[in-house]
Amino acid sequence: MTKKTWITILILGCFQLVAQNKDSLHVNFKINFDKFPLVLHKNYITSKKDSISISTFKCYISNIEIAYTDKTVSKEKNSYHLLDINNPNSCHIPITKISDKIISKVTFNIGIDSLTNTSGAMAGDLDPIKGMYWAWQSGYINMKIEGKSPSCHTKKNGFQFHIGGYMQPNYAMRKKVITVNSIGDITIAIDVAILLSEIDLKNTNSVMIPGEVAMDLADISTKMFYLE
Amino acid sequence: MKKTVTFFGFGILILLILAFSKSYNTPLYFEVPKGWPKPIYDFKKNSLSEEGFQLGRHLFYDPILSRDNTISCSSCHLQQTGFTHVDHQLSHGIEGKIGTRNSMALVNLAWNKNFMWDGAINNLEVQAINPITNPLEMDEKLENIITKLQNSAKYRELFTKAFGDEKVTSQRLFKALAQFTIMLKSSNSNYDKMIRNELEFSEQEKKGYSLFKTNCASCHKEPLFSDDKFEKNGLALDTTLNDLGRIKITNKKEDNLRFKVPTLRNIQFTFPYMHDGRFKTLTEVVKHYNSLGNDKSLPKELAKPMNLSDNDRVDLVLFLKTLTDNEFLLDKRFSFPKE
Repeated sequence: MTKKTWITILILGCFQLVAQNKDSLHVNFKINFDKFPLVLHKNYITSKKDSISISTFKCYISNIEIAYTDKTVSKEKNSYHLLDINNPNSCHIPITKISDKIISKVTFNIGIDSLTNTSGAMAGDLDPIKGMYWAWQSGYINMKIEGKSPSCHTKKNGFQFHIGGYMQPNYAMRKKVITVNSIGDITIAIDVAILLSEIDLKNTNSVMIPGEVAMDLADISTKMFYLE
Repeated sequence: MKKTVTFFGFGILILLILAFSKSYNTPLYFEVPKGWPKPIYDFKKNSLSEEGFQLGRHLFYDPILSRDNTISCSSCHLQQTGFTHVDHQLSHGIEGKIGTRNSMALVNLAWNKNFMWDGAINNLEVQAINPITNPLEMDEKLENIITKLQNSAKYRELFTKAFGDEKVTSQRLFKALAQFTIMLKSSNSNYDKMIRNELEFSEQEKKGYSLFKTNCASCHKEPLFSDDKFEKNGLALDTTLNDLGRIKITNKKEDNLRFKVPTLRNIQFTFPYMHDGRFKTLTEVVKHYNSLGNDKSLPKELAKPMNLSDNDRVDLVLFLKTLTDNEFLLDKRFSFPKE
């Protein structure tokens, strides 16, 4: 009997490992420009009539929670994810076992919480090697968007938005709640065009430190996320 | 009954796993000197081991962390001078490039909440990212360091000893460096011995100590000789550097020209003094504070003039020299690791 129990546990364990990815409920992120997949280095026109192209898009998503209509909630342990347009796999996040329960909403943070920002050397997606950590001052960059536009009178017409900050009053992490009302995988679009439609590129083109401007951009960035 | 047996079996299995998972290194204990406050550093997130400490020590003394393999942490933090860069007002790094500040002494870091003159760094473990990537200091990329360390047989062995396998990650690198720097503890100066009743101060040192307690101790709080806060200390802005200090980190008006209150331990050897190294001697430092007073822009601790006589100044400096800890400055455990 004991032997049998062990074997059962072992088999179940293996099964669990294999099954995890296939039968998971995913939250998928799609990085868009004006409702279509963003293509790096392609020329776009913003609603402000700026001609632009994007070279970098990276963003931290953390503490993803899925709430069901039956009032239960699925949370992910160590929920820190770096979405990078150059790494499509990073945009598909398995959260929990798939079920036929109706999902009422999904909640997540755009960026990294203050506690994690002060907890020392991290690994995985939070490894500073990922290029989303400031060196001159401790802290994660929550969202990094870089590109070019003739509207920017800067070196090589470049613009850089490094949105971050973990200390009050410039704590730039933002919580986002998206209503879902469906079963199965969730796809959320992140639309860069929405951010650029609210920025005057001529005057605001280089944000690399925490502060008021980063706080404004963080507020705008919440509007970029919508259910697809 | 069968259930009990299964549970028992599980228990033994877990114990075995725990025993084996820990067996690759020798735990190291961080002792808090009697009467000292509780350390701020979270030891639970970085269990100290002899092997981790030794790896950190090798990394600390190795120029492999810089772009051209010329600058190590110890280039600006020399043990004999309290782990700081002596004799240079502003510390210099790669290719002789000069920064804007005087390097800080590395001592009793377990009691620091934040690091650097402006507190830009919030945890000892991530402190090293700053000098490593600073173009005026070591100017290296983390990914290059990882590659260099992975390609080194010596480091593959040291990482294995410290962490159980040869995988090099930035997290392991930083945790190991922190294991070395956290152990840089100085608590055996004549001052400490006096407190422990192991020796007695001279009359002049006693007078100096009493002047210290009246005029300096509110910010340079015993036994760490710092309150770990940021203060304005009446230094005029050096317009060639325009270093505004803490305000750059917090964006708060009141932090303009505030700098970290540094520890005074081993102060005899950590010259020059102040964030920009503008004073060469302790006498100059004491004279500066003695010249202040009746200035509303200064913190309340410096608002009243000190009115120290020449003899008082001499006594105060004599007291400051009792903070020298020769055992620490010459401790072989902290010195360059000879293979």
